[in-house]
Amino acid sequence: MKTCIACGMPMENISDFAANDQGKDYCVHCSRPDGEMQSFEEKKENLTKFIVRTQGFDESAAGKIAENMMRKLPAWKKYFD
Amino acid sequence: MRVSTRQTQKSNTRKKIIETAYRIFSEKGFSVPTSIIAKEAGVSHGSIFVHFPTLNDLLICLLSDFGDNMGASLHMLAKKCYSVENLLKEHLNVLEEYEAFYSRLILEKNRLPDEAKSTFVIIQSTVAFHFSSVIDREIEKGTVKKLPIHILFNTWLGLVHYYLLNKEFFSDSNGSVIRRYRAELLSTYLNLIKKESEVYE
Repeated sequence: MKTCIACGMPMENISDFAANDQGKDYCVHCSRPDGEMQSFEEKKENLTKFIVRTQGFDESAAGKIAENMMRKLPAWKKYFD
Repeated sequence: MRVSTRQTQKSNTRKKIIETAYRIFSEKGFSVPTSIIAKEAGVSHGSIFVHFPTLNDLLICLLSDFGDNMGASLHMLAKKCYSVENLLKEHLNVLEEYEAFYSRLILEKNRLPDEAKSTFVIIQSTVAFHFSSVIDREIEKGTVKKLPIHILFNTWLGLVHYYLLNKEFFSDSNGSVIRRYRAELLSTYLNLIKKESEVYE
């Protein structure tokens, strides 16, 4: 099973893939409305907001967690080298 | 492809180190020296460093195993549109399976190396992700009160952690605190968050 290169989510169904395209390596949550993958900054901002909404952390702490999550994912590795 | 005896031995040693470290860390905490783990596992101290060059590497390996199990169990449930009750039950199932290890983690989290600490926070964020996807659905359906997701999540986690961290008062034996209190924790929490017409029996 493929996992999203940008967030690590397992992609089982066609609806999990960006633009319903099983050829894509990233998921529906990591794509823009036009089907392209979000940029590093967009993804970091979205993840940070998500962490604040679901765990209530301070925004700067949430931003660091978002970066640590992204550090391990193939799509963003180059930003941390 | 044939696996050589040497490779089998290497993989057995690694397995032995992981199992022993998991048991010792769960019983005595994460400050136990690797020399003790090597002794208990019946391997040379040097061979621990062949497999895990730093304590952090060993911790990450144990945390990843726990995190993968938690992530896979909750992902499957959240995906199948299960209720919050089913999701929380599964959360407790995985916590019960790893109870001693998890209790040590929440007790000693601030003393762990940064990368291990960060891995633990990422695991909790995965739990929060699945929790929020199920809770959002229930709030939309009108079965759960419209309260901030982070407060709902932190209340659940805080409740479970309180029992784990105070095991000595909640349990008079070495038995699982989660097994003993799961029904009460689950039904009380669900009654707090559910709309009145949906009261959990």
